[in-house]
Amino acid sequence: MNLSASDLASSLEHFSLDQYNNNSSLIYGIGNVGRQDDGLGWAFIDWLEQEKLCDKAELVRNYQLHLEDADLISYKKKILFVDATKSKGVKTFEIEQLSPKMDFSFTSHAISIPSIMATCQQCFDYLPDVHLLTIRGYEWELQEGLTQHAQHNLTTVIDYLKREVG
Amino acid sequence: MSRKIIIDPVTRIEGHGKVTIHLDDNNQVIDAKLHVVEFRGFEKFIQGHPYWEAPMLLQRICGICFVSHHLCGAKALDDMIGAGYSTGVSMLPTPEKMRRLAHYMQQLQSHVTAYFYLIVPEMLFGMDAPPEQRNVLGLVEADPDLVKRVVALRKWGQEGIKAVLGKRMHGINSIPGGVNQNLSIEARDRLLKGEDGLISIDDVIEYAQDGLKLFYEFHEKNRQEVDSFAEIPALNMCLVGDDGNVDYYHGKMRIVDKNKEIVTELDYHDYLDHFSEATEEWSYMKFPFLKALGREAGSVRVGPLARVNVTKSYSDDTPLAKAALERFHDYTQGKANDKTLHTNWARSIEILHSAELIKVLLNDPDLQKEQLIITPPKSAWTGEGVGVVEAPRGTLLHHYRANEEGNITFANLVVATTQNNTVMNRSIHSVAESYLGGKTEITEGMMNAIEVSIRAYDPCLSCATHAMGQMPLVLSVFNAKGELVNEFVR
Repeated sequence: MNLSASDLASSLEHFSLDQYNNNSSLIYGIGNVGRQDDGLGWAFIDWLEQEKLCDKAELVRNYQLHLEDADLISYKKKILFVDATKSKGVKTFEIEQLSPKMDFSFTSHAISIPSIMATCQQCFDYLPDVHLLTIRGYEWELQEGLTQHAQHNLTTVIDYLKREVG
Repeated sequence: MSRKIIIDPVTRIEGHGKVTIHLDDNNQVIDAKLHVVEFRGFEKFIQGHPYWEAPMLLQRICGICFVSHHLCGAKALDDMIGAGYSTGVSMLPTPEKMRRLAHYMQQLQSHVTAYFYLIVPEMLFGMDAPPEQRNVLGLVEADPDLVKRVVALRKWGQEGIKAVLGKRMHGINSIPGGVNQNLSIEARDRLLKGEDGLISIDDVIEYAQDGLKLFYEFHEKNRQEVDSFAEIPALNMCLVGDDGNVDYYHGKMRIVDKNKEIVTELDYHDYLDHFSEATEEWSYMKFPFLKALGREAGSVRVGPLARVNVTKSYSDDTPLAKAALERFHDYTQGKANDKTLHTNWARSIEILHSAELIKVLLNDPDLQKEQLIITPPKSAWTGEGVGVVEAPRGTLLHHYRANEEGNITFANLVVATTQNNTVMNRSIHSVAESYLGGKTEITEGMMNAIEVSIRAYDPCLSCATHAMGQMPLVLSVFNAKGELVNEFVR
């Protein structure tokens, strides 16, 4: 399920961080803080830690997914992946529920979330509930720190989720 | 009309290597080259940094064999501060064993990645299978139980590295003169017994045998093709201990010929006295060779195949690997094995060897002792150091010099893939002759055969370009005027 900006508000009525505040949940930030806005996923995890939100969930930061993540998610009921996107189709942020799909995206350096889910299903005969939060980024050069626009988008996500939490 | 065929990039999307094959008017192979077109400059930008940063920064050259770079750099720093092998100082037992443990864990994990993720799919599905099947996701669909065991092996290796080096990637444990922590009882027991979703070391050893079984089955069914694929005579080199058998962490460099006779044996600190490096304008990667024999005869092979050729036997405390090595040696009746695809056999033996070595070390109480570092007086400072280890892909060398302020003034890294450069090029030439020579049509399977010859070396063209699957391979055919007459994209 892909949510456009206009659909977002209604979908977020059902999306709450509270659902992830337990030890059967995983929140997984993907990215690289040395590549400007690619650090959005980790920055989201930083925010959770600073605010002590979802502190019962397992919080993970990684540069990219690995096949072993199929094993990791096999121990969880709910997973939220958080990643940056270059897509102009994403105005600020999007949340989508993902389905397993063996899309043959594998290299030893990268693999898609649907492929991880399909691997989990095939190897462990189990499929958790998986959502992806994508936040729009703009610059991916070798530099630390988010751009102003990306920081604004992160703040928008945070403000929205804070309202939900509150 | 002569033709020129280009495979570019060979490996991953970023594209750091390409292959060109030149055919004459009769479609016979005139020349074949592996071009490494990346230039990374690590040796330059480390200059001016404090010497102690070198093992931390330079390990970032690689996302797969970073432990080897870290340890190689640490050994060079040991020399620099006057606590290394060049100064006759022996490292304390605990730090040396901690470093060895990390090294064996990385070899296990790296070999498992290369073998099961990148090579086994080709063994099971064949070189002609479509790329979307010929990768580990194809393997997930075909044999999920095997993949589950492989994932467990990789996970165990990653957790082990984290326990020993402090981080899953780019660890910080090795420091000049030693290490900054030992292995806690809790961490040791978790790795030995397995818990929290981690398998035990006995399971690791059991699963590690899967690789050998797969190779034996594949070899039995495809003996002719496997044995005749790129049989490339070459000298073999690796580090050996006092017993003359491979020592992955430290020893002398031994080079043997086709009869396994020792050609030369040297202290790696004297590497530059024995080796020279040729350059070619078509590649950034150099071509090392033994000066005494010249470039043609003096190029060496390193890595798993070289190591099992040099090694006569493993120790009794690694009995399963020892038996596997004996079977390997029996196959070539005492001669060095030059069959490129037998590198995968050698790699599967080393997966098992690593697992057994790790078990031995995990049961060693020295890992819990408190003496972690030698701190020599400032007067012992030498300002120069050389480190060599057997990285998963072969012999790796780091050489640094620093000024009196302790800032790096010189760095030279000779990586395993560079050592294998000449042999890899010969392999490509051999496979091109066998698979493309005389053919008018170029197929996906032919292209992949070229890649298989390269992949057997698991080359680290750019910090481990272990990629396959949806690589955008482009094969272009040019006429004698340099005009594009055909193009093949997968």
